[in-house]
This record gives sequence, structure tokens and C-alpha cells, in this order.
Amino acid sequence: MFKILLINGLIIGGVYGLIALGYSLIYRASGLMSFAQGDMITLGAYLGLTFYSILRLPFFLSFILTFACAFIVGVLLEKGVIRALLNKSVLPIYIVLATIAISYIIQNATQALFGTTTLRFPQVFSTATLTISGITAQTEAFACLVISLALMFLLHLFMTKTKFGTAMRSAAMDPLAAESCGINTSMSTGITWALAAAIASIAGMLLGPMYGVYTTLGSVVGRKGFAGAVVGGYGNMYGAMVGGIILGLVETFVAGYWTGTYKNLIAYAILILFLFVKPTGIFNEKAIQDV
Amino acid sequence: MNILNIQKKLPLIVGLAVLLCALPFLVRFVAGNQYPLLIMCIILIYIIAVSGLDILFGYSGQISLGHAAFFTLGAYTSGLLNIYFNLPLYLTIPAGTILATLIGALLAYPASKLKFHFLSLATVAFGEITYYFLYKSPGGFTRDFKGINVISIGFLGEDYLKWYFFLLAFVVIVLLGKTSLIKSRTGRAFISIRENTHAADGMGINVRKNKIIAFAVSAFLTGLAGALYVHLIKYISPETSMQKQSVLFLTMLLFGGTASIMGTIMGVVCIEVLMEAIRPLQEYQMLFYGVLLLIVIVALPGGIYGGLKNVAQNIRKAALKRLGRNTDNQKKVEKGGEA
Repeated sequence: MFKILLINGLIIGGVYGLIALGYSLIYRASGLMSFAQGDMITLGAYLGLTFYSILRLPFFLSFILTFACAFIVGVLLEKGVIRALLNKSVLPIYIVLATIAISYIIQNATQALFGTTTLRFPQVFSTATLTISGITAQTEAFACLVISLALMFLLHLFMTKTKFGTAMRSAAMDPLAAESCGINTSMSTGITWALAAAIASIAGMLLGPMYGVYTTLGSVVGRKGFAGAVVGGYGNMYGAMVGGIILGLVETFVAGYWTGTYKNLIAYAILILFLFVKPTGIFNEKAIQDV
Repeated sequence: MNILNIQKKLPLIVGLAVLLCALPFLVRFVAGNQYPLLIMCIILIYIIAVSGLDILFGYSGQISLGHAAFFTLGAYTSGLLNIYFNLPLYLTIPAGTILATLIGALLAYPASKLKFHFLSLATVAFGEITYYFLYKSPGGFTRDFKGINVISIGFLGEDYLKWYFFLLAFVVIVLLGKTSLIKSRTGRAFISIRENTHAADGMGINVRKNKIIAFAVSAFLTGLAGALYVHLIKYISPETSMQKQSVLFLTMLLFGGTASIMGTIMGVVCIEVLMEAIRPLQEYQMLFYGVLLLIVIVALPGGIYGGLKNVAQNIRKAALKRLGRNTDNQKKVEKGGEA
């Protein structure tokens, strides 16, 4: 029982972590918040389904194609909506509302294209199970965890060690100063949103085979992912992963040992608790409090 | 000055009052049934709810993505008191309103120190918690996902004409109250917090306290709307506290234009009529919200009221300019004549 719960908690935690990673990336690199991140999961899952199951391309190729498509969607989203709003220098909250609008549009567009039924994502690694130190689970589950952790590590390296990552961070900190140092802030925020969308699409590809693909697949996970990001410290890459995994574990263990009734409530309770008591999160990331 | 203004506006006010009183009779006569009247009643209720949101978002600059939760809290309290204790309308509605206000103030106490992004997260979480709580309450006292059916024994019954005037009175009181609040010291404090929190703090405004007041007033109005709603429709389900409803309120507010009385009214009327018009396509209702919201945010940040005001201003400016140029020309001509 314990081991099963642990592995399930880690898997769903990995997915929450990926979502939280997207939020942190966007926040770190542009100081904004996106509510469309969850729907990028849905989009990724449907794209993966289209390439892998309908067009029957090899998994690796469909993985790359999904990643690329989501990347392009992210760029378009930033260039078409977010940049237009930033140029008008509207209140930041209008950008949040715009992302909510986009999330509804994605949900309804996928519904119009694929219908309301849950589609089955064919198993990628056949039905083989993997046994590690006595714990048996689907290979996909392990893949999910490994990919999440690897992405976190890569992203952290990208943001702190590469020139482009540094440029992105500086563009978030002070766009005007970054601009005057010769940094293309418009491009760097574009890349940020695109990367976040691409990460979410990977999460969609990973979730698809486990849960099936439906139009609100991402929106619930996406909203819970905020809890992961806040627990870890909003804007912190490692924090996002740790927070996501903590959230997944707590949720699974409470549901397993105590009560399944309030499974969905737990994430929001944790979110509100952290916001009120420790808004800087475990990794003590600043910039949340007002006066 | 003030009296003069009122006297000047008197014909307008009387005209508006006559129109508002005649409208339901006219609508009932044209439509031949009660349905359009019901829609008008819902519009009036939404005007109250969106006015509440406007005080928080439009005037104080604080975001709430969970306002539907206050609406449902008002509605559930009011409805549950009715079905369990058979209390009359004039007791359940204040009870629902007071509970929503209290919870709003309680939520605002810790939430008021959060920056807008994180405030929006906290309010989303609040909305979701309310939803899941009502959906699966301890002991099922909220009737869970089935929602509650109210057997209203009020003096209004099923007569939507009576309801219309009852709600119209509420709307007039709410809008007058809102106007005087905004013109008061507290209202000016709200606006200063919206414009620049730090400057407001520096001017000696208690930011935290005023934010809490804004939240409480906002929850009061939205809770009142909910408490009225449940007696009008006689049914409420947890679905109403979902994010969808909160976004509907925000769409109405932004579509009409924030921080104004007319904007709120125009937004609610337009969106509600539009939603009725596309009822056959209900599956894609959310798509309409999304597209509308996006258009308003990108193309019309001031909403339709703001847009109209801009157009009116431009016309006036252009007219003045033309007039000014004409007078200039005349002067030149006169001067030329003199020379």
C-alpha cells in the first residue's frame, strides 16, 4: 500500500512539478502569471495523440513535433496577445485575464475538433512494467518522473549558466535597463512563454497514456500546479519541482490513508495556507508581498 | 451648485424612472410571456453583483477570480435557512448577505498583503474550496452536487413583475450607495490605493484596512445578489461557484467598463442579452466569454462605456477645434478689416 501510494504520489507530483516549472519560468523571466499553462497540457496531449495515434508517426518523432508545435503556439501567444498588452502598458491583471480567455478558447477549440469523449492514448512502452527495488510500476510512470527531473535540471542550467538565460532573467528584472544593455526583451519573453508551453506539452504527452485525453485534462492539473509553485517558492526552478512532488505526495497519501472525499480540496487548501502563512515558499523566493 | 445640478438633471431622472417602470409592462405585452421578465430580473441581480466586483476591481484595483464564491455563499445561506428553518425572505436575505460579508472580510485580512498575481491565486483557491465544500459537504447538509430547491414562501411568489420592481428598488439603492461611497473619504482612499499603493501609504492612508473594507463591501453586494438570486430562481447548485461564473462577472465588468456606474449596467445588459441569444450554442458558451474577454482586453481596455466616452470626447474636441478655428478666422478677418 505504502509503496503504491508513494509511486503514484511521485508520478502525479512530477506532473505538478512540470506545470509549476512552467509557471516559475514565466514568472522568473517576465514577471507575469499565466492561467493558460494547464491548457497547454491539453493541447500537448491532443497534439501528441494526433501525431502518434492518428498519423501513426514514431513516438520519438511525434514527441519532437509536439514540442515544436507547442513552442510555436507559445511564441504566437506571446507575440499576438501578451506583447500587444505589454506594449499598451495595461495593468498586469489584464494579462492574467487574457490568459484565462485563451484557456477557454483552447478548451472549446479542442472540444470542437475532437469532441467531448475521452480519447485513448495508445501505450508507448507497450504494457511492460519496471521493477526497481521491489516497487513495480508502469514504465511510463518512471519515464514521467525521470523526464520531469531532467527538465528541471536543464532549465535551471539554462537560466543560470547560459548567456541567453541570464538575458531572460535581466529582461524580467528591469526591462528598460535590459533593453539599454542591448538585450532583445521582446524576444526573450517570447522564448520564455514558448518554452513554458513546450514543457506543458511534454506533461500532456506524459499524462495522455495514463489518464486518457479529454478537453479539461489540463485545466484542473494546471490550477493545482499553482499550489506546487507557491509551496516551492514562486519563481524558483527547484522549488517548483519540490513543491509539485510534495503536493502530489500529500494529495495521494491523504486520499489513500484518510479520505478520498476531499482529494481536490487539499491542493487549494495547501495553496491558500502557504499564500497566507509562508508566501515565499520553502525556497524563500521573494517578491510576493505587497505593502 | 449641487441642487442646481439635480434640477438640471431632473427631467432626465424622471424620464429614466418612467422608462424603467414602463419597460416590464411593455416587454410582457410584446413577448406575451414571463420569460423576458425573468431575464430582466437576472440582469438586475447581476448589476448588484458586478457593482460589488467593480468596487473591488474597478475602484480599489484588487483582483478577485473567486467572486462567484461570495455569490454562492449568499445564495446557499439564504436558501438553506429557508429549507431547514422555513424562515421568510426578509430574514434569509440579510443572513446570507452578512455571512458573505464576514467571510469576505476574513479572507481579506490575510489576503490584503498579497500582490495582485498572488491575490488572484488566493481568490481562485477560495473559489475552488467553496465549490468542493458545497459539492461534498460534511453530512451532506448542502445537499451536495444536487443543489438546493428553495420553496420560497415570500410575498413575491412567481410574479416576475413584482420581482422586477422589488429588485429595481435594490439596484437603485445599491447604485446610490455605491456613488456616495466612491465620493466619500473611503472611496477616495480606494482609488488612491489603485493608482499607487506606496503613495497612498505615504499619504497616511491605512492601505490594509481600506483593502479589507473594499473586500467586505464587495462581498456584501455580491452576497446580497446571491441571496436574492436563490429566491428568484428557487434553485442553486455548487456549479455556480466555479471559476466560470467568476469569469462571467469579470467579463461583464470589463466589457462594460470598470470604475463607473453606467459601465457596469451596460456590461451586464449586453453580456446577459448576448448569452440569451446564443443559448442554443450553450456548449460553446465559454468560447464566447473567452473571445469577448480577449477582444475587450486587447482592443477596448476601457470597455464599451469607456470607448463611447472616448468617442464623445473626440467629437466634442473636434467640434470645439473647428469652432475655435472658425472664431480665430473671424478674428483675423476682423483684424484684417480693421487694418
